[in-house]
Amino acid sequence: MELMHLLAAEELTVNANPFFPNMTWFTNSMVVTVIVTVLIIIWARQSTQKMELVPKGAQNLFEALVEILYTTFEGVVGKRMIPKVFPLIATLFIFILAANWFGLVPGVGTIGFGKLREGFLSLEEMYQPLLRPVNTDLNMTLGMALFFMLWWVIWTVQEVGVIGFLKHTFEPKGGVKGFLWFALLPLFIFIGVIEFFSIAIRPVSLSFRLFGNIFAGETLLHSMSTLGANLPVPLNWVSLVLFPLPFYFLELLVGVLQAFVFAMLCAVYIKLSTGFEGDGAH
Amino acid sequence: MLDILPMWAEAANIGPFLPLAFAGLGASIGVGIVGGKAAEAVGRNPSAFGNILVMAIIGMALAEAIAIYGLIIAFSK
Repeated sequence: MELMHLLAAEELTVNANPFFPNMTWFTNSMVVTVIVTVLIIIWARQSTQKMELVPKGAQNLFEALVEILYTTFEGVVGKRMIPKVFPLIATLFIFILAANWFGLVPGVGTIGFGKLREGFLSLEEMYQPLLRPVNTDLNMTLGMALFFMLWWVIWTVQEVGVIGFLKHTFEPKGGVKGFLWFALLPLFIFIGVIEFFSIAIRPVSLSFRLFGNIFAGETLLHSMSTLGANLPVPLNWVSLVLFPLPFYFLELLVGVLQAFVFAMLCAVYIKLSTGFEGDGAH
Repeated sequence: MLDILPMWAEAANIGPFLPLAFAGLGASIGVGIVGGKAAEAVGRNPSAFGNILVMAIIGMALAEAIAIYGLIIAFSK
Protein backbone atom coordinates (compact mmCIF):
# COMPACT_ATOMS: atom_id res chain seq x y z
CA MET A 1 0.00 0.00 0.00
CA GLU A 2 1.25 3.44 -0.78
CA LEU A 3 0.89 6.45 1.42
CA MET A 4 1.36 8.90 -1.39
CA HIS A 5 -1.72 11.05 -1.09
CA LEU A 6 -2.54 11.82 2.46
CA LEU A 7 -3.19 15.48 2.15
CA ALA A 8 -6.72 16.61 2.34
CA ALA A 9 -8.78 19.80 2.16
CA GLU A 10 -7.61 21.42 -1.01
CA GLU A 11 -10.26 24.06 -0.96
CA LEU A 12 -12.82 25.43 1.37
CA THR A 13 -16.28 26.01 0.00
CA VAL A 14 -17.77 29.44 0.57
CA ASN A 15 -20.94 28.03 2.11
CA ALA A 16 -20.59 25.98 5.24
CA ASN A 17 -21.65 22.36 5.01
CA PRO A 18 -24.49 20.80 7.00
CA PHE A 19 -23.50 18.73 9.97
CA PHE A 20 -26.30 16.19 9.96
CA PRO A 21 -27.42 15.07 6.52
CA ASN A 22 -31.08 15.85 6.92
CA MET A 23 -30.85 19.21 8.74
CA THR A 24 -29.40 21.53 6.14
CA TRP A 25 -29.64 24.64 8.28
CA PHE A 26 -27.34 23.34 11.03
CA THR A 27 -23.87 23.75 9.58
CA ASN A 28 -20.52 22.59 10.83
CA SER A 29 -19.50 26.13 11.72
CA MET A 30 -22.57 26.40 13.96
CA VAL A 31 -21.33 23.38 15.87
CA VAL A 32 -18.03 25.17 16.46
CA THR A 33 -19.95 28.27 17.60
CA VAL A 34 -21.69 26.21 20.27
CA ILE A 35 -18.42 24.57 21.31
CA VAL A 36 -16.57 27.89 21.61
CA THR A 37 -19.37 29.49 23.60
CA VAL A 38 -19.60 26.57 26.00
CA LEU A 39 -15.83 26.57 26.49
CA ILE A 40 -15.71 30.30 27.23
CA ILE A 41 -18.59 30.09 29.69
CA ILE A 42 -17.24 27.06 31.51
CA TRP A 43 -13.74 28.52 31.82
CA ALA A 44 -14.96 31.92 32.94
CA ARG A 45 -17.36 30.56 35.53
CA GLN A 46 -14.88 28.10 36.91
CA SER A 47 -12.12 30.62 37.38
CA THR A 48 -14.34 33.13 39.16
CA GLN A 49 -15.94 30.58 41.43
CA LYS A 50 -14.18 31.73 44.60
CA MET A 51 -13.30 35.36 44.18
CA GLU A 52 -10.28 36.42 46.14
CA LEU A 53 -9.31 39.97 46.96
CA VAL A 54 -5.84 39.60 45.47
CA PRO A 55 -6.46 37.63 42.31
CA LYS A 56 -4.08 35.15 40.82
CA GLY A 57 -4.20 32.64 38.06
CA ALA A 58 -7.19 32.49 35.76
CA GLN A 59 -9.18 35.01 37.78
CA ASN A 60 -6.33 37.46 37.29
CA LEU A 61 -6.43 36.87 33.56
CA PHE A 62 -10.13 37.60 33.32
CA GLU A 63 -9.91 40.65 35.57
CA ALA A 64 -7.05 42.06 33.52
CA LEU A 65 -8.92 41.40 30.28
CA VAL A 66 -12.10 43.12 31.44
CA GLU A 67 -10.21 46.06 32.89
CA ILE A 68 -8.10 46.65 29.79
CA LEU A 69 -11.19 46.47 27.57
CA TYR A 70 -13.11 48.80 29.89
CA THR A 71 -10.47 51.51 29.95
CA THR A 72 -9.82 51.29 26.22
CA PHE A 73 -13.45 51.56 25.22
CA GLU A 74 -14.20 54.19 27.83
CA GLY A 75 -11.60 56.38 26.16
CA VAL A 76 -13.44 55.99 22.88
CA VAL A 77 -17.13 55.96 23.78
CA GLY A 78 -17.15 58.33 26.73
CA LYS A 79 -18.06 57.90 30.35
CA ARG A 80 -21.78 58.28 29.84
CA MET A 81 -22.35 55.57 27.30
CA ILE A 82 -19.85 53.00 28.50
CA PRO A 83 -22.10 51.16 31.01
CA LYS A 84 -24.66 50.53 28.29
CA VAL A 85 -22.44 49.48 25.46
CA PHE A 86 -19.64 47.67 27.27
CA PRO A 87 -21.34 44.22 27.55
CA LEU A 88 -22.02 43.99 23.83
CA ILE A 89 -18.67 45.27 22.63
CA ALA A 90 -16.61 43.24 25.10
CA THR A 91 -18.61 40.10 24.26
CA LEU A 92 -18.00 40.67 20.57
CA PHE A 93 -14.28 41.07 21.16
CA ILE A 94 -13.88 38.03 23.41
CA PHE A 95 -16.07 35.78 21.27
CA ILE A 96 -14.41 36.73 17.96
CA LEU A 97 -10.96 36.32 19.50
CA ALA A 98 -11.77 32.90 20.94
CA ALA A 99 -13.47 31.79 17.71
CA ASN A 100 -10.55 32.87 15.54
CA TRP A 101 -8.02 31.13 17.75
CA PHE A 102 -10.15 28.01 18.04
CA GLY A 103 -10.07 27.72 14.27
CA LEU A 104 -6.30 27.25 14.49
CA VAL A 105 -6.53 24.23 16.77
CA PRO A 106 -5.22 21.19 14.85
CA GLY A 107 -8.14 19.24 13.47
CA VAL A 108 -10.56 22.07 12.91
CA GLY A 109 -11.03 22.29 9.17
CA THR A 110 -8.66 19.45 8.36
CA ILE A 111 -10.48 16.35 9.61
CA GLY A 112 -13.55 15.49 7.64
CA PHE A 113 -15.34 13.49 5.03
CA GLY A 114 -13.80 12.99 1.66
CA LYS A 115 -13.05 10.74 -1.23
CA LEU A 116 -10.80 7.88 -0.29
CA ARG A 117 -7.99 6.50 -2.30
CA GLU A 118 -6.80 2.97 -1.92
CA GLY A 119 -4.23 2.60 0.79
CA PHE A 120 -4.12 3.12 4.49
CA LEU A 121 -4.94 6.60 5.88
CA SER A 122 -5.07 8.35 2.55
CA LEU A 123 -7.59 10.90 1.37
CA GLU A 124 -7.51 12.22 -2.12
CA GLU A 125 -9.84 15.10 -1.68
CA MET A 126 -11.85 16.35 1.23
CA TYR A 127 -15.02 18.18 0.55
CA GLN A 128 -16.60 18.50 3.93
CA PRO A 129 -14.68 19.25 7.10
CA LEU A 130 -16.14 18.01 10.35
CA LEU A 131 -15.51 21.22 12.26
CA ARG A 132 -15.01 24.53 10.53
CA PRO A 133 -13.82 27.85 11.95
CA VAL A 134 -16.68 30.09 13.00
CA ASN A 135 -16.00 33.25 11.06
CA THR A 136 -15.45 31.46 7.76
CA ASP A 137 -19.21 31.43 7.46
CA LEU A 138 -20.64 34.72 6.21
CA ASN A 139 -23.89 34.05 8.07
CA MET A 140 -22.11 34.33 11.41
CA THR A 141 -20.34 37.61 10.74
CA LEU A 142 -23.41 39.10 9.08
CA GLY A 143 -25.48 38.09 12.10
CA MET A 144 -23.06 39.76 14.50
CA ALA A 145 -22.87 42.93 12.40
CA LEU A 146 -26.65 43.20 12.02
CA PHE A 147 -27.17 42.60 15.73
CA PHE A 148 -24.72 45.39 16.51
CA MET A 149 -26.46 47.74 14.06
CA LEU A 150 -29.81 47.00 15.67
CA TRP A 151 -28.44 48.02 19.07
CA TRP A 152 -26.73 51.05 17.51
CA VAL A 153 -30.14 52.27 16.28
CA ILE A 154 -31.69 51.61 19.70
CA TRP A 155 -28.92 53.45 21.59
CA THR A 156 -28.87 56.38 19.18
CA VAL A 157 -32.61 56.85 19.42
CA GLN A 158 -32.38 56.58 23.22
CA GLU A 159 -29.64 59.17 23.47
CA VAL A 160 -30.42 61.86 20.94
CA GLY A 161 -33.85 60.89 19.63
CA VAL A 162 -34.90 60.49 16.03
CA ILE A 163 -35.24 64.26 15.52
CA GLY A 164 -31.80 64.86 16.99
CA PHE A 165 -30.24 62.23 14.76
CA LEU A 166 -31.85 63.70 11.63
CA LYS A 167 -30.83 67.20 12.66
CA HIS A 168 -27.26 66.06 13.28
CA THR A 169 -27.06 64.46 9.88
CA PHE A 170 -28.80 66.99 7.67
CA GLU A 171 -28.37 70.37 9.32
CA PRO A 172 -25.87 72.94 8.03
CA LYS A 173 -22.97 72.99 10.43
CA GLY A 174 -20.58 75.74 11.33
CA GLY A 175 -22.86 78.13 13.16
CA VAL A 176 -24.39 79.78 10.13
CA LYS A 177 -27.58 81.70 10.67
CA GLY A 178 -30.20 83.50 8.69
CA PHE A 179 -30.12 83.57 4.93
CA LEU A 180 -26.86 81.61 4.67
CA TRP A 181 -28.50 78.72 6.53
CA PHE A 182 -31.17 78.41 3.88
CA ALA A 183 -28.67 78.82 1.08
CA LEU A 184 -26.48 76.02 2.37
CA LEU A 185 -29.38 73.69 3.20
CA PRO A 186 -29.58 71.87 -0.19
CA LEU A 187 -25.85 71.20 -0.10
CA PHE A 188 -26.01 69.76 3.38
CA ILE A 189 -29.06 67.68 2.52
CA PHE A 190 -27.06 66.14 -0.31
CA ILE A 191 -24.16 65.47 2.06
CA GLY A 192 -26.60 63.99 4.54
CA VAL A 193 -27.90 61.55 1.95
CA ILE A 194 -24.36 60.37 1.25
CA GLU A 195 -23.69 60.01 4.96
CA PHE A 196 -26.93 58.06 5.36
CA PHE A 197 -25.81 55.68 2.67
CA SER A 198 -22.43 55.23 4.29
CA ILE A 199 -24.16 54.39 7.58
CA ALA A 200 -26.33 51.83 5.82
CA ILE A 201 -23.27 50.15 4.31
CA ARG A 202 -21.66 49.64 7.73
CA PRO A 203 -23.04 46.13 8.44
CA VAL A 204 -21.80 45.02 5.02
CA SER A 205 -18.29 46.31 5.56
CA LEU A 206 -18.06 45.02 9.15
CA SER A 207 -19.17 41.53 8.19
CA PHE A 208 -17.17 41.29 4.97
CA ARG A 209 -13.98 42.52 6.60
CA LEU A 210 -14.08 39.82 9.28
CA PHE A 211 -15.30 37.10 6.93
CA GLY A 212 -12.74 37.94 4.26
CA ASN A 213 -9.79 37.97 6.62
CA ILE A 214 -10.60 34.70 8.36
CA PHE A 215 -11.79 32.87 5.24
CA ALA A 216 -8.75 33.98 3.26
CA GLY A 217 -6.49 32.92 6.11
CA GLU A 218 -8.09 29.49 6.27
CA THR A 219 -7.82 29.04 2.49
CA LEU A 220 -4.21 30.18 2.66
CA LEU A 221 -3.40 27.59 5.32
CA HIS A 222 -5.05 24.86 3.29
CA SER A 223 -3.25 25.84 0.11
CA MET A 224 0.09 26.05 1.83
CA SER A 225 -0.43 22.64 3.42
CA THR A 226 -1.15 20.93 0.13
CA LEU A 227 1.51 22.75 -1.84
CA GLY A 228 4.04 19.94 -1.74
CA ALA A 229 1.55 17.14 -2.28
CA ASN A 230 3.22 15.74 -5.34
CA LEU A 231 6.68 15.36 -3.87
CA PRO A 232 8.05 11.91 -2.98
CA VAL A 233 7.03 10.36 0.28
CA PRO A 234 9.08 11.76 3.18
CA LEU A 235 9.23 15.21 1.61
CA ASN A 236 5.50 15.58 1.22
CA TRP A 237 4.89 14.89 4.91
CA VAL A 238 7.62 17.35 5.90
CA SER A 239 6.18 20.02 3.64
CA LEU A 240 2.71 19.43 5.09
CA VAL A 241 3.98 20.61 8.46
CA LEU A 242 6.67 23.07 7.46
CA PHE A 243 5.08 25.19 4.76
CA PRO A 244 2.08 26.58 6.64
CA LEU A 245 4.10 27.37 9.76
CA PRO A 246 4.81 31.08 9.12
CA PHE A 247 1.26 31.58 7.93
CA TYR A 248 0.03 29.96 11.13
CA PHE A 249 1.63 32.71 13.18
CA LEU A 250 0.23 35.27 10.74
CA GLU A 251 -3.22 33.83 11.39
CA LEU A 252 -2.70 34.14 15.14
CA LEU A 253 -1.93 37.83 14.68
CA VAL A 254 -4.79 38.37 12.22
CA GLY A 255 -7.21 36.73 14.66
CA VAL A 256 -6.36 39.20 17.43
CA LEU A 257 -6.26 42.16 15.06
CA GLN A 258 -9.62 41.48 13.43
CA ALA A 259 -11.35 40.96 16.77
CA PHE A 260 -9.89 44.24 18.02
CA VAL A 261 -10.82 46.10 14.82
CA PHE A 262 -14.41 44.82 14.90
CA ALA A 263 -14.96 45.88 18.50
CA MET A 264 -13.14 49.19 18.06
CA LEU A 265 -15.13 50.09 14.95
CA CYS A 266 -18.36 49.33 16.82
CA ALA A 267 -17.26 51.68 19.60
CA VAL A 268 -16.29 54.38 17.10
CA TYR A 269 -19.67 54.17 15.35
CA ILE A 270 -21.44 54.59 18.68
CA LYS A 271 -19.25 57.56 19.55
CA LEU A 272 -19.91 59.24 16.21
CA SER A 273 -23.64 59.29 16.64
CA THR A 274 -24.03 59.84 20.38
CA GLY A 275 -21.00 61.90 21.28
CA PHE A 276 -22.49 65.31 20.71
CA GLU A 277 -24.58 65.93 23.79
CA GLY A 278 -23.82 69.02 25.76
CA ASP A 279 -21.44 70.64 23.37
CA GLY A 280 -22.16 72.94 20.48
CA ALA A 281 -23.05 76.57 20.68
CA HIS A 282 -26.33 76.11 18.91
CA MET B 1 -10.82 49.96 -27.61
CA LEU B 2 -11.38 50.66 -23.95
CA ASP B 3 -11.53 47.00 -22.98
CA ILE B 4 -7.90 46.20 -23.79
CA LEU B 5 -7.10 45.39 -20.18
CA PRO B 6 -9.95 42.88 -19.64
CA MET B 7 -9.10 41.31 -22.99
CA TRP B 8 -5.47 40.85 -22.01
CA ALA B 9 -6.56 39.42 -18.66
CA GLU B 10 -8.81 36.90 -20.35
CA ALA B 11 -6.15 35.96 -22.85
CA ALA B 12 -3.63 35.37 -20.07
CA ASN B 13 -6.28 33.35 -18.22
CA ILE B 14 -6.23 35.49 -15.10
CA GLY B 15 -9.72 36.80 -15.68
CA PRO B 16 -11.26 36.87 -12.18
CA PHE B 17 -8.06 38.10 -10.52
CA LEU B 18 -7.77 41.45 -12.29
CA PRO B 19 -9.94 43.40 -9.82
CA LEU B 20 -8.01 41.75 -7.00
CA ALA B 21 -4.75 43.07 -8.43
CA PHE B 22 -5.96 46.66 -8.53
CA ALA B 23 -7.59 46.41 -5.12
CA GLY B 24 -4.38 45.01 -3.67
CA LEU B 25 -2.34 47.81 -5.20
CA GLY B 26 -4.58 50.51 -3.78
CA ALA B 27 -4.87 48.89 -0.37
CA SER B 28 -1.11 48.42 0.00
CA ILE B 29 -0.43 52.04 -0.85
CA GLY B 30 -3.15 53.18 1.55
CA VAL B 31 -1.91 51.07 4.44
CA GLY B 32 1.65 52.23 3.81
CA ILE B 33 0.63 55.87 3.90
CA VAL B 34 -1.29 55.41 7.17
CA GLY B 35 1.64 53.58 8.74
CA GLY B 36 4.13 56.22 7.65
CA LYS B 37 2.03 59.07 8.97
CA ALA B 38 1.56 57.21 12.25
CA ALA B 39 5.31 56.73 12.63
CA GLU B 40 5.86 60.40 11.91
CA ALA B 41 3.26 61.43 14.47
CA VAL B 42 4.84 59.24 17.17
CA GLY B 43 8.20 60.80 16.34
CA ARG B 44 6.81 64.26 16.92
CA ASN B 45 5.08 63.36 20.18
CA PRO B 46 6.23 60.07 21.68
CA SER B 47 3.89 60.24 24.65
CA ALA B 48 0.80 59.92 22.43
CA PHE B 49 1.75 56.44 21.29
CA GLY B 50 -1.42 54.73 22.60
CA ASN B 51 -3.89 57.07 20.90
CA ILE B 52 -1.94 57.05 17.66
CA LEU B 53 -1.76 53.25 17.70
CA VAL B 54 -5.54 52.91 18.03
CA MET B 55 -6.24 55.36 15.25
CA ALA B 56 -3.61 53.84 12.98
CA ILE B 57 -5.06 50.35 13.43
CA ILE B 58 -8.56 51.59 12.60
CA GLY B 59 -7.26 53.40 9.51
CA MET B 60 -5.37 50.35 8.30
CA ALA B 61 -8.35 48.07 8.79
CA LEU B 62 -10.62 50.36 6.80
CA ALA B 63 -8.08 50.68 4.01
CA GLU B 64 -7.48 46.94 3.91
CA ALA B 65 -11.17 46.08 3.71
CA ILE B 66 -11.35 47.03 0.03
CA ALA B 67 -8.70 44.52 -0.84
CA ILE B 68 -10.70 41.92 1.08
CA TYR B 69 -13.74 42.68 -1.07
CA GLY B 70 -11.56 42.08 -4.14
CA LEU B 71 -10.29 38.82 -2.68
CA ILE B 72 -13.81 37.52 -2.12
CA ILE B 73 -14.89 38.42 -5.65
CA ALA B 74 -11.79 36.77 -7.09
CA PHE B 75 -12.27 33.51 -5.25
CA SER B 76 -15.99 33.18 -5.74
CA LYS B 77 -16.02 33.43 -9.54
